[in-house]
Amino acid sequence: MNRRRLFFHLLLKDIWVRRDRTVTALLSVIVVATMATVALTVYYDLESRLSREFRSFGANVIVTKHEASLTSNDLAQINSVLGGKGEVVPVAYAIATTSGNSRVVIAGANLATLRRLNSWWSIQDFSTSSHAALVGARASELVSPSGGEFSLKFGAKSVSAHTDAVFHSGSEDDSRVYLDLADFTALTGVQPGTALLRIDGSPREIQSALGQLRASLPSAEVEPVRQITQTQIAVLGKTRSVVLAASAVVVVLIMLCMVATFTSSVLERRRDFAVMKALGASNRTVNLLFASQSTLLALAGALIGFLVGGAVAYWIGRANFDAAIVPRLILLVPVVLSSIVMALIASMSPIRMLQRIQPARILRGE
Amino acid sequence: MFLRLVFESFRRQKRRKSIALLAIALGMSIATAMIAVGTDVGDKINQELRTYSANLLLTPVEDTLDVNLGGVSLRPATEGAFISEASLVRMKEGFWSHNILGYAPFLPAPETFSLHGNTVSTELIGTYFAQPVHYGNESFNTGVRSVNSWWKVEGEWPPDYADWPRDASPAVLAGSKLAQLQHLAIGDELEVRGRKLRISGILTTSGVEDQAIVAPLHIVQQLIGRPDAVRSATVSALTKPEDAFARRNPATMSPAMRDRWYCTPYANSIALQIHENLPNVRVEQIRQVEQNQGKVLSRISGLMLLLTFAALVAAALAISAAMAATILERRQEVGLMKSLGAGNAAVASLFLTEAGLLAVIGGGIGFAAGALLARQIGRSIFGSAITVHPVVLAVVIFSALLVTFAGSAGAIRKAMRFDPAVVLRGNA
Repeated sequence: MNRRRLFFHLLLKDIWVRRDRTVTALLSVIVVATMATVALTVYYDLESRLSREFRSFGANVIVTKHEASLTSNDLAQINSVLGGKGEVVPVAYAIATTSGNSRVVIAGANLATLRRLNSWWSIQDFSTSSHAALVGARASELVSPSGGEFSLKFGAKSVSAHTDAVFHSGSEDDSRVYLDLADFTALTGVQPGTALLRIDGSPREIQSALGQLRASLPSAEVEPVRQITQTQIAVLGKTRSVVLAASAVVVVLIMLCMVATFTSSVLERRRDFAVMKALGASNRTVNLLFASQSTLLALAGALIGFLVGGAVAYWIGRANFDAAIVPRLILLVPVVLSSIVMALIASMSPIRMLQRIQPARILRGE
Repeated sequence: MFLRLVFESFRRQKRRKSIALLAIALGMSIATAMIAVGTDVGDKINQELRTYSANLLLTPVEDTLDVNLGGVSLRPATEGAFISEASLVRMKEGFWSHNILGYAPFLPAPETFSLHGNTVSTELIGTYFAQPVHYGNESFNTGVRSVNSWWKVEGEWPPDYADWPRDASPAVLAGSKLAQLQHLAIGDELEVRGRKLRISGILTTSGVEDQAIVAPLHIVQQLIGRPDAVRSATVSALTKPEDAFARRNPATMSPAMRDRWYCTPYANSIALQIHENLPNVRVEQIRQVEQNQGKVLSRISGLMLLLTFAALVAAALAISAAMAATILERRQEVGLMKSLGAGNAAVASLFLTEAGLLAVIGGGIGFAAGALLARQIGRSIFGSAITVHPVVLAVVIFSALLVTFAGSAGAIRKAMRFDPAVVLRGNA
């Protein structure tokens, strides 16, 4: 048996013969690697996951053209910037008078997309028919308190519309009547000069889309809805920092726990250490043996932990966000490296301590 | 004899015991910190959200419709109904007084301003910036600075002055779009109805205020000759996310259920109580804010709870591993005790007593450290400490006992199975 074979023999035999010791050390590494993987994976995906939730807030950018209407070219530009990640609803506004001669703001839009954009509206549906109108709660008290048909005048023209649905929004929309765009332009001859945009994505993506929109629509005013965008930034920021801080606490403490376990199991092997030294092994050989054992354990533990952690993160995504969080392979590198480094630190410092004691004293049981 | 064995074991094996103790304390501080942060993060983020957006809108019941077009109100300032400014504070008198974090009244009026020699027609909006308000024996500051914290001001926020001296020009904010169009700068003076106003800051809100002049409420009331009048108010209230129960009509509930509904801080029940205190005011949820924030909030708290759960399992496993590691190495001791005639029960009870002692001490240290960590996380991220409920201490000590016993039991059983002679000879 040459030296190298002896070395590997010792290495593997020790791991195998004292299986319970191996298992506890391995378990502690697995736990660390699992938590680190879960924390990193969740942290990296948090922004995109939570940003998805902000879709339901509706329009976060408003494009307005003063004294002019949005051309089909403008809308095409907007759609190309959004690239399908969001929603565009062109809206036109005008002031009409009711049969009772009160003034009311009417608006024209594609009612189906408008309802999709403003998903938080509490809508009381009636029937869908021709000349349907979406009537704000306060406006409905004025134009048609009992629902059904009502008429609106704009200049010399007038139109009769059906209350298709009454909605509560808690904003100035409650005082408006939304007509289908075709009916609206037939009545007023006004084309949409405003577009409500919902841009999906993280605050950074929204910001860059804003920049592109401003560049491609120089004649229009492109403004973010600060209330929505600022809320998103604040909530994302706070949540990210809380997840980061909590994960850092957990991972660091659990790593220390692993170091304690490792240190203790190395210290308990002082007899093996002394016997090896007594049989003439050099410090270097002993160091190498202990170090490679620790590395081997840390490597195996980190790989298993990465798999388990990936599964846990996947499950967290499914359970909480209804969409799995897919583990990133790139995280394997920091997880494995840090596990190995920690395991080496945990095993080499007690070895150094033992090396200062004479083997004979350890063997005598001191 | 038994106590002495335990005592000696701690005295002679300081290193081994301190490693076990360290592991337990670390694990338990993870548990404490995560439980504290995980259960509190929902409330903290909710508070954070409230400073970004009001969630209730108050308008007069008898009001006419808003006629806003392109951010300009076309309704005359005197048309329609008003809310009494003085009555607004009564909303703080209800059951949910502490949940109502603040409110901001608004009084818009279309006005014609003269500046630099030419005239501009735009809206003058009166509001509170940070007005001290008194109710009962208490007072608090409220206004757009706290309720609408997305409002951005370059320059200085104007002070709220109830009785501004007639000859001094009050400070106001100019909307950013208006300022850009009319080349207004900080320090400029404009005149409306014979009164001079000085611009102290430029305001960006991305709402109608960007094209308006925003002034202290009392100045606007004086200008349009409507003391105590407010057109609308927004309220920021801490609410519980809406569920199916919240959406039910309280009028159709049984008295017990109605009490439960009434005593839960849903937006609907707070709105109802404000309406009861202010009968001629219509209270609407600002649904865009209220409906959607609940969803986001429940996602965040859900995530933190799952992370907490994962961390608890991990801490339990880590402690078990550490306990097993220290006991497995003590099989020689087990061999010695058994060869001196100790029964399995005696050996097990000695080890478990030691484990129990370690668990209680480690759990206590861990709780203290974890509570400190949670406090720090709260301080640094939310600016307010996360306090740990004392009941968590009981939970932590109990789970520490459970986990150390579970971790030790397997290892002890294994150590006892070996033949004492073999163990003592050292070949096991």
